[in-house]
Amino acid sequence: MPPDYYEILGVLRNASREEIKKAYLQAAQRLHPDKNKVAGETEIFLDIKQAYETLSNQKLRKKYDSTLPTDKQSNLPIRLKTYYSRPNLLRSDEPQLIYVLLEISPHKNVGEITAPPLNICLVLDRSTSMQGDKMEMLKGAAIKVMRNLRQQDVISMITFSDRAEVVIPATSSYEINRLENRIHMLNPSGSTEIFQGLQAAFDEIKKNSNKDYVDHIILITDGRTYGDEKECLKLAEQASQLGIGISTMGIGKEWNDEFLDTLAKQTGGSSRYISRPEEIQRFLIDKFESLSQTIADNVILEIKIHTGVKMTYAFRTQPETGPLPLKDSIHLGPVLQDTTLNLLFEFRIDPSLTIQDSLTLTQGLLKLNIAARPTPIQPIPIEFSSAIKDEVGNEMPSQLIIQALGKLTLYRMQEKAHRAVEQGNFELASQQMKQLATSLIAWGEQDLANTAFIEAKNIQNERTISGEGSKAIKYGTRALIMAKD
Amino acid sequence: MIICTNCKHENLEGTLFCGECGIQVIDLNPIVTHNIPPEQQEQTVLKTTQHLSAPEDLNAWAALHIVDSGQFVPLLDRDEITLGRVSDAQPILPDIDLTPYKAYSNGVSRLHAALKRKGKQVVLSDLGTSNGTYVNGKRLEPNTDQPLQHGDTIVLGNLKLQIFFNNH
Repeated sequence: MPPDYYEILGVLRNASREEIKKAYLQAAQRLHPDKNKVAGETEIFLDIKQAYETLSNQKLRKKYDSTLPTDKQSNLPIRLKTYYSRPNLLRSDEPQLIYVLLEISPHKNVGEITAPPLNICLVLDRSTSMQGDKMEMLKGAAIKVMRNLRQQDVISMITFSDRAEVVIPATSSYEINRLENRIHMLNPSGSTEIFQGLQAAFDEIKKNSNKDYVDHIILITDGRTYGDEKECLKLAEQASQLGIGISTMGIGKEWNDEFLDTLAKQTGGSSRYISRPEEIQRFLIDKFESLSQTIADNVILEIKIHTGVKMTYAFRTQPETGPLPLKDSIHLGPVLQDTTLNLLFEFRIDPSLTIQDSLTLTQGLLKLNIAARPTPIQPIPIEFSSAIKDEVGNEMPSQLIIQALGKLTLYRMQEKAHRAVEQGNFELASQQMKQLATSLIAWGEQDLANTAFIEAKNIQNERTISGEGSKAIKYGTRALIMAKD
Repeated sequence: MIICTNCKHENLEGTLFCGECGIQVIDLNPIVTHNIPPEQQEQTVLKTTQHLSAPEDLNAWAALHIVDSGQFVPLLDRDEITLGRVSDAQPILPDIDLTPYKAYSNGVSRLHAALKRKGKQVVLSDLGTSNGTYVNGKRLEPNTDQPLQHGDTIVLGNLKLQIFFNNH
């Protein structure tokens, strides 16, 4: 089969001449023979050159287009499946909801591609509060994951308190014994200033981020950062533009979950709650394992939402559960080898739109990199749409969407209770927490239900919610969404 | 607007689970009325009474054990029994309605599977459902008979059942 010039340049079939030129210049910059180092990149550059020469010439492009197969779906690197919560929308004078679940999985022949090398920076909190078990467990975990690295992986490590220190500069040729010694010698002291640590990590990651690595920063902390949240988020924004993911792990009850969640979701990363120091190792190993299964990274969904339709909720239900930002360009996190990437959206439809017979909720593009393939992948068009009828059809929504929604509802009840606490509406908050506890019992989650009951009482009597309890409930209900029956 | 039967919260049309109390509200769509011919009416009434008296009926030829809740559902003395769940605007009703056992959230179709007595043998067949029917973990081909043994595990969608015969 001849190469697909559009795919080589990473543009759509209907791309304009300007878009083609821009894509060519970008690719040429990355892969020009004067610059590239990896064997084979010169050949790829020649392909790109040929693709550009063909597509930039109107005559040649027309001729080339006529040779293309019409069925494009078959050579997509990934497979997409869309599930709707109802067979159609209702013609109605009230606003209504529809849920859409998008399932993204690698195409069979992509599955055989070897996982790309990792470029990971560990950013570890070494403030005074880490003293004792937490620090010792963290050291142990760091050493463990380092021993598991493959030869091609790049690792770096930053510790931070009020200052950041590069303990291990980005390296792939390391003497494990020397690194282990350095880790052993870490001593906690000082306060928590996350920005310092992140900035240093960002610099280490960038040393290798032009190449085809899975770039990721893993931040582990047990405390609140003071006054530098905004700078952190700005840095996360920069990181996301460079395709660098940030995942966060909070130990114990003191850290700011809201902040670490936001940091992670901006870049498509994940955030976890570590209730006991013993769990650090397991979570860290899990994270490395999932990253090393990456098939596609830098997965971005760009959507245009129809006027009158509002995206009111977006959530990644799999592989690592977590809320997604409600933006028109969403970093989704990586597509892994053997778990599908599942996204659940809630749309609210204005009644004025239901006069027509069908409605396109959103249109958009899914952009991604196949990590092991240096050429860009053609963005994949995505459309969510629904028919509008006078009655709701009898068809039953997929089991997948019902299960996900049922559990997501628990997570959202927890969010509501939190919001009520923040607004000082303790009566309501306590009531909502009790409702959640009751629902959790119905789902057979006795332990989590108990925690919710205790917090409901806590809110009622003390007018506050405990750090442990609120985190246990938040990340506990989030984990339920992921759990498979 | 969908009003939750549990907490009276008003949810938007299209809601599947009440935002206030988390309970499933989907089956509460406005009820569509339709005419039932007289001969079918009688049948419906008969079935309901049979079903209500069923829990005491320990002499039934076979019973379904709902694994999650531990309840037993005795089977009617008939040669063909359909399993499913009853919902609004449904022309053909299943003989055994599994709605009380969370059939909906477990992905049971309206007409999901049929149990048949063929001489001494009892067989089960899937009625072409999207979520499938499994016997001892094996998915059945639609509309193909699968012989059942005493104690076999049957899964309809995600609803786990066991079948017990009285004279095994």
